[in-house]
Amino acid sequence: MMDGRGKIFTHGAVPLSLASALVVFAILGFVLSPRWLFFFQGVFELGLFAVATNLLIGYGGLVSFGQASFYGLGAYVVALGWLHYKIPFWILFLLAPVFGAVTALLVGMLALRARQLYFALLTLAFSQLFFTIAHQWYHFTEGSNGVFGAMVPRILTAPQHGYWFILGVSVIAIFLLWLVTISPFGLTLQAIRENRKKAEAIGINVYRHQLYAFVIAGAFSALAGALFVVHDQSAYPALLDWIKSGEPILMIMIGGIGFFLGPLVGAVIFQFAHNFLIEYTHVWELVLGLILLVIVLFAPDGLLGLLDSRHRGEVREKMHSRLKRVFAFRNNRPGSKR
Amino acid sequence: MYGLTQLFSGLTTAALLFLVAAGLTMIFGGLRIINVAHGSFYMYGAFIVSSLVGTALTSSAHATALFWTALIVAPLVVAALGALTEYLVLRPLYGREHLLQLLATFALFYIFTGVSLLFWGGQYRSISIPPMLQGHLTVLGATLPVYNGFIMLIAVAVGLFMWWLLQRTPLGWRIRAAVEDPEMLAAMGTNVRGLFTGVFTLGTFLAGLAGAIVGPTQSVTTGLGAQILVSAFIVAVIGGLGSVAGAAIGAIIIGLSQAAGVLWAPQFESAFIYVAMILVLAIRPSGLLGVPEQ
Repeated sequence: MMDGRGKIFTHGAVPLSLASALVVFAILGFVLSPRWLFFFQGVFELGLFAVATNLLIGYGGLVSFGQASFYGLGAYVVALGWLHYKIPFWILFLLAPVFGAVTALLVGMLALRARQLYFALLTLAFSQLFFTIAHQWYHFTEGSNGVFGAMVPRILTAPQHGYWFILGVSVIAIFLLWLVTISPFGLTLQAIRENRKKAEAIGINVYRHQLYAFVIAGAFSALAGALFVVHDQSAYPALLDWIKSGEPILMIMIGGIGFFLGPLVGAVIFQFAHNFLIEYTHVWELVLGLILLVIVLFAPDGLLGLLDSRHRGEVREKMHSRLKRVFAFRNNRPGSKR
Repeated sequence: MYGLTQLFSGLTTAALLFLVAAGLTMIFGGLRIINVAHGSFYMYGAFIVSSLVGTALTSSAHATALFWTALIVAPLVVAALGALTEYLVLRPLYGREHLLQLLATFALFYIFTGVSLLFWGGQYRSISIPPMLQGHLTVLGATLPVYNGFIMLIAVAVGLFMWWLLQRTPLGWRIRAAVEDPEMLAAMGTNVRGLFTGVFTLGTFLAGLAGAIVGPTQSVTTGLGAQILVSAFIVAVIGGLGSVAGAAIGAIIIGLSQAAGVLWAPQFESAFIYVAMILVLAIRPSGLLGVPEQ
């Protein structure tokens, strides 16, 4: 499997899956009921958010707990530009990722001074700062009510049109993100994740690469936020808080952190839990939490990790040893695993 | 004396934040785990008190006795839950990537939120202040609700107890040694795993205690945990993760800057604390009393 063909196949799998998903879902747009159209709008937009976040977490090894800063910002750029300045939607839609990139540059310059957990907490603090501003700057942001109204052109408000639009933009954006991950830049980013010191030693500017990754992820997260406005026709403070920042991480883990398309699988399951479980049980958080916990404990490579035939034997072995570890932890030597 | 009244209110906030952040920072120091579910333990403390006491707390002596009982029982129940959580969920994850540990506690946050909705529903619940602690004191012309004074007293007592425990007892030496070098400590014959369970249990006990005493001052709802969590993180991070003394300093900084926010810029009152954290970390990336991460 390690020969050239295997490699080409793995590389070709992503654009192939994306292209076939584009065609299949575009056709499905003709037959799906409005309810399902709405469901998949959410999947595409959240999926893009999660794939963008995975550029940091999976590829860069940078656990940002503040990606909602940029997602919410994208949504607010569209909503506030409409509310206060009556700027046409299409211009705002293009401005959203620009705002996301610039903000990510500023946030990243500060946050990337810290490492690991402090980085996670700094990004979380920024996310909460933006949340607070959106929540309290009532005159400008409408506070906790959020912004509602006809901010999306009428042509996109029909569920079917909105569906196709979100599908098209998300797939193109995800494809662009894939190009980033296979570019020399993307490979360098992964090299830094694997061994920061070695990367530094061979002359790679670690800070600059991580900052660029943060900017790219911020721009695409903001784009996802702008798509959310097409989906929901509103922007409100909860789009910016730390729980929202946790959602893409949850999707990444459920789908599989080591797989480019893993977050999309996670997005389907997340959206399903969110939209449908809520009808049968008001405690969808409980179900989602249990799914995440089981994955963290027993299958940290996510669902795709379980399905991946190349790793199946390895995964079974890993799961077995993990089960043993969970149920027989008494035998573990104290402190020996740290 | 509106300013002094605000100062008291800021110190009350600081007292609660200290109780929650002290546990959070101790758990980080020992277990190296960022416990996202910490706020949930706080929330459970408040919910359990509301269930035990109920809303109809009249002037009867019986009701007052019930309140004191609840104040002891609730943190104990929460601590038991904490011990169970550490034993079942966190133990298998020691030594694995930070991301997995963070996500496990994030999953727990979701689970605890769901369970609390199952048990207590989504409504707001209120707890009355026991008759003994009702009323106001007047200090230098400023008003201080007796109950807020009570909260501060508890926080000071807990702070002194923690200082004594960590600095003056063999258990405290072990906890501090576990932060420095758990392997060496294990080699010297200490049961480090058991110690970790103890630290986690103590941390969740404090969160439960804070939740139990906060109940009567605000409406109790599922959102309570998520609310305090972020502030407590900020306190712990400003003080330096792992340092209980840092948590005390951080709590006072945050409590006072919130009070200052209320006084001078009410519109952006809660933005103050994030700015404070970002400033501190930009200057000292490991917090005021923290040790730099390798």
